[in-house]
Amino acid sequence: MINTIRSILYFTALILLQVLVLNNIHFLRLVTPLLYIYFIIKLPLGYTPIRLTFLSFLAGITIDILSNTSGMHAAACTLAGFMRPQIIRLFIREDLPDNMAPSFRSLGSGGFARFVLVFVMLHHFSLFLIESLTLFDFPFLAIRALSGVLTTSLLIYLIEVFHKDSKRSDDQY
Amino acid sequence: MRKLLDFLINRRHWFLFLLLEIISFALVYRNNAYQQSILLSTANVVAANVVAAGGSVTSYLSLRDKNKELIERNGQLEIEILRLQRRIETMSTDTMRFQAYAGDSAIRFPYTTDVAKVVNNSVSYLANYITIDKGRADGIAPDMGVVSERGVVGIVSTVSDHYALVIPILNPKFRLSCKVLGSGYFGSMSWDGRSVQYAKLEELPRHVEFQVGDTIVTSAFSAIFPEGIMMGTVSAFEKQRDDNYYSLTVKLSTDFTRLNTVMVIKNYHKNEQKQLEQEFGAND
Repeated sequence: MINTIRSILYFTALILLQVLVLNNIHFLRLVTPLLYIYFIIKLPLGYTPIRLTFLSFLAGITIDILSNTSGMHAAACTLAGFMRPQIIRLFIREDLPDNMAPSFRSLGSGGFARFVLVFVMLHHFSLFLIESLTLFDFPFLAIRALSGVLTTSLLIYLIEVFHKDSKRSDDQY
Repeated sequence: MRKLLDFLINRRHWFLFLLLEIISFALVYRNNAYQQSILLSTANVVAANVVAAGGSVTSYLSLRDKNKELIERNGQLEIEILRLQRRIETMSTDTMRFQAYAGDSAIRFPYTTDVAKVVNNSVSYLANYITIDKGRADGIAPDMGVVSERGVVGIVSTVSDHYALVIPILNPKFRLSCKVLGSGYFGSMSWDGRSVQYAKLEELPRHVEFQVGDTIVTSAFSAIFPEGIMMGTVSAFEKQRDDNYYSLTVKLSTDFTRLNTVMVIKNYHKNEQKQLEQEFGAND
């Protein structure tokens, strides 16, 4: 129950932040941080793949509707959300507590950092590839995708460092 | 059979994944057509209200710049009025007027404009869109031209009752016939997806004379924009290999990163021109 409320809050806050603030940022006329995928990253570890895939699609399609991108974000998010359990399993082998969200504490610093980097890369590369179906320009695509991955991952690490779950020692949610 | 069923049930998230990906790609591909879906874009009322809330805040932030721009524009127009008045005076003094001549009141400038506020604007994608707060109820229809005080912005693509979606120059779907000011030769303007400041003018005949810094304006061919609206200035040019055309890089006069008020241009004669062109095409 608390997990659901948390997810809804994350969803609303991150989508509004993305559409009203971050979509207006074009650092060096190149990079727009896509922080809304933090929502998918923070979905609890125990969610079934079905739930993960569907919620990711929901986040993507909402961003699409609000920024006129017609299905691009939905496709990239669905793929990233679908692959999330596999990416986590790539770095962490032991069993994880079901009711916790991925964080520096629950996955370990190195594990979480690598998971976020791979997850953001998967999302960004698929997003920019789909976008360039209409207009292909490889060097430009690579620069945009790489700088996007760096900016978004750094933002997520920053938020995560200041997140209360990383500091508190009890397992309460 | 049972094992197969178990396998399928265990893998049911794969089916959901495939289904959602198919839906997403269907949206991507269908929307590559010229018309956007109203439901899945910011022309939809709910989405428009969300982005309009953001737009109403950000529009205050640039008031100072807007004010300055308007004052400058005002000054330019005043000078223009004075210049034209002077010309009318000199002309009317040395022309003998025929008093019985009654002007045809039906002939007039066929364009009117309507001011609209930009409620959503993107410049970071390869295909960008702008949402404005005027729609069908205000007489806006698809294929109307949109300009800012500095120059061409784009063309209306989809309208809902109170909002409209504009395809700006910064979208690969945008194409417009433009010419170098002062010459009759025209080329086709499009965007290469790289910088929000520059677009390409292609297919300009090789023998046209121009210099870097010359002004590019709309031509009279489109029926969407009146002739002579500022597009930008030439910043570089190259000869296209193997053929007789120039390709010009044009520095756009409109700054798309801080756009908040635009004008929609309505042309009374557009349907007439389109109909005529279509009839001719049908007979051909």
